[in-house]
Amino acid sequence: MVIAMRRSEETEPGVITLRFGHWQLEASVREAIDEMAADYRKIHPNVRIIQDAIPEMTYGQWLTTQLMGGTAPDMIEVGMVQYHLLVQYLNRYFLPLSRYVGAPNPYNEGTPLEGVPLRNTFKDGMRSSYYEEVQAYMIIPLSQFGIRIFYNKDLLKRLTGREDPPTEYRDFLAVCEEIKRHKDPTGQPYTPIASSKYHLPMWEYPLLDPLTYPLLREADFNRDGFVGNDELFVAIKTGRIHFRHPAIEARFRMLDELSDHFQPGYTGLGRDEAVFLFAQQKAVFMTTGTWDAWSLQEQAQGSFSVGVMDYPRPVPEDPVYGDLVEGPNYERMYGGFPIGITRTCKHPDVALDFLLFLAGKEQNEKLNGIIGWIPSVKHTELDEFLKAFQPHLQGVYGCFNPNLGGETWIRWLQLYSLYQVKKISFDELVARFEPFYIERGMTDFLEQQKDWRRGMHNNEQVLAGLRASALHSDGDEAQSYWVRYKTLLGSRQLWAEIGHARQMKMVMGELELPERGPYEYKEATLQRIRKHILGEAG
Amino acid sequence: MDQALAEAWEKYREGEFRGAVRLFEGVVDKLDTSDPRHLKALYGLATTHALRRPDPNREMATVLHRQVIASDLEGDLAAWSLLALARMKHLVSVGQTPDYNEAREAYQEVIDRFPDHRASHEAFLYQQSTYVVDMDLQSTAATLERLKIFIDSHPDSPYLSLLWALRSTCCETLGRPDEWLEAEIMAWETAELDPMNPLQDFAWNTWRIATIAEFEVGDFESAKTYYTRLVQEYPEDIRVHAAKAGLKRMEEMAQRIRKGE
Repeated sequence: MVIAMRRSEETEPGVITLRFGHWQLEASVREAIDEMAADYRKIHPNVRIIQDAIPEMTYGQWLTTQLMGGTAPDMIEVGMVQYHLLVQYLNRYFLPLSRYVGAPNPYNEGTPLEGVPLRNTFKDGMRSSYYEEVQAYMIIPLSQFGIRIFYNKDLLKRLTGREDPPTEYRDFLAVCEEIKRHKDPTGQPYTPIASSKYHLPMWEYPLLDPLTYPLLREADFNRDGFVGNDELFVAIKTGRIHFRHPAIEARFRMLDELSDHFQPGYTGLGRDEAVFLFAQQKAVFMTTGTWDAWSLQEQAQGSFSVGVMDYPRPVPEDPVYGDLVEGPNYERMYGGFPIGITRTCKHPDVALDFLLFLAGKEQNEKLNGIIGWIPSVKHTELDEFLKAFQPHLQGVYGCFNPNLGGETWIRWLQLYSLYQVKKISFDELVARFEPFYIERGMTDFLEQQKDWRRGMHNNEQVLAGLRASALHSDGDEAQSYWVRYKTLLGSRQLWAEIGHARQMKMVMGELELPERGPYEYKEATLQRIRKHILGEAG
Repeated sequence: MDQALAEAWEKYREGEFRGAVRLFEGVVDKLDTSDPRHLKALYGLATTHALRRPDPNREMATVLHRQVIASDLEGDLAAWSLLALARMKHLVSVGQTPDYNEAREAYQEVIDRFPDHRASHEAFLYQQSTYVVDMDLQSTAATLERLKIFIDSHPDSPYLSLLWALRSTCCETLGRPDEWLEAEIMAWETAELDPMNPLQDFAWNTWRIATIAEFEVGDFESAKTYYTRLVQEYPEDIRVHAAKAGLKRMEEMAQRIRKGE
């Protein structure tokens, strides 16, 4: 019996065939990779690139079986599995790329990035490539992503007479009201916003969640600039804050107002249904990301013009939200379309060279230009249409995460679903969830503490590996290992244990809460400030 | 054999513990005990048995670490093996509470036997942290004094930044804001940055110092210095917006106070 393997079938003598696996089924991605592969072949005639484009829905399972079976493509898009599995896979099945990130990318010769270390050629400084748990750079990010509101320019003008989209929240609501008053050719009212369960988080993260930023002042007990789910629990359990906090209430009130303009039953709909509504010109606005930019324009071609607008935030004078909106939502430069090289790759140097080619300034610009995405490399030009996706590098962010896992989270999801479809009010949501969160949440909080304890054993394992690396190397390399070792030791073992102990004592009522929140003045501090400033003035 | 040792550690890091054990055992079996690589392999084997998942073999690890200690009396690996034994007492299974007294004694053994070794400084750090977790004021105050003495007598300790950070934690617990700020600044000034890690920066430390200065000490000058450093040195950091707001808030408050409001 002869078992014909695709890989061997396609390999001609002297030709190196590399497989490139990913979940981007959009035609433009496959077309772009093919074109870049053809460009690469012009300078490396013996290298052929074959794509394995796998649907998103099955990608995680496919990735797992391919990696475990030793049949994974040479280069592969990394993701679509749970993070802890991803870390294990990276550790076991992928080649670390750390040794290459300090050297210049040869494909940047003759460009402003010539001689620049690879990691400094990326807009995100390759932060998205580095995995703390593996202590190494593992992937090359080929694109950047962002989310904004897409709108039908022609329909907006026809229904509201406006050339430009609203930039402020109240104005946006008024425009939505105006849109609803009009009927489409079938006699149905227009839908202001095409939404779905897929699209809802793209309203929550940039517009609703930042309203909860004021919680930071009261609940960031460890002063890291974030309110973790554990800190929120401690704050609520101890009565420092309540679910009726104005910032939390505002977040839910705004959802209520916005969802009045979504199509009915949006929570039961998927991505395609919302896109269909938008493409059929029955809705004016839809929030989505750069990954849909090209395909939406394609669908609209010949029918209408697609515009991109930022999220319409309330102004400081807003009677309801004004005091709570402290700025735009913070967005960090972060690379996407992450490609790693598998350990089973027979020609890792060639695979790396192809990825460096794709990460060269001109090539990355071309790749993303064909796809319609934002290049991940600095000094690249991007499509005019995508300029609206430039991230807000200064701003605020959500500080409300009630996810403690376990039954608490299930109860939250059930109640929040009811709230989304207006089956319960905010008052009912709070009345039904807060007591459960405080009581049952304790069990889930304690379970989280156990997870943290389990994590300490894993950290110890990583530390021993780092220590061995440090002991077996010398000079700068050894020094680098020791720095990593001490950083991990401090953050994951020492402070974690002390921090968790402190939280436990607060929750159990064994440690008194500080008089005020971490970013609120205590009376004693105020006195010192007065004394100091008046003394200074005198 | 050097290659086999390197591969064994590589397997360990990949989580391929069986492969690591096989390779370490191969080196142990093939080399005479007088060869220093024999000891290295023994240490690697002990480490793997102690930390392998999901089935660690702590008994075997203890036996092997003790062999390393017995064979290497004054050596580098003996110090690390002794620390590993202490860590096993401190890092207990999920659901159990460590016997802190036992762990402290084990750490003390490292400190006594290898007083100048890096492992001893690490042992001291872990040992002192066990006195701080309870938040007991008396115990924390005593720890603070021990940390002061240690830092004074070991100004070049490789763990200096972490020692200062632990000192800062003590001051926080004890409610001594001025000392807290000083320790936090020293922890920051003595910290090292891994140039290879793009996720590691001092933005968080800078933010902490600024907010401790503003809200705990009422030292606007220091707060201003560190908020400004955050804005200038980490312009894309998530806390920059808040740092700018802090600078504005302090300026406005100072003006109000000067006006007598």
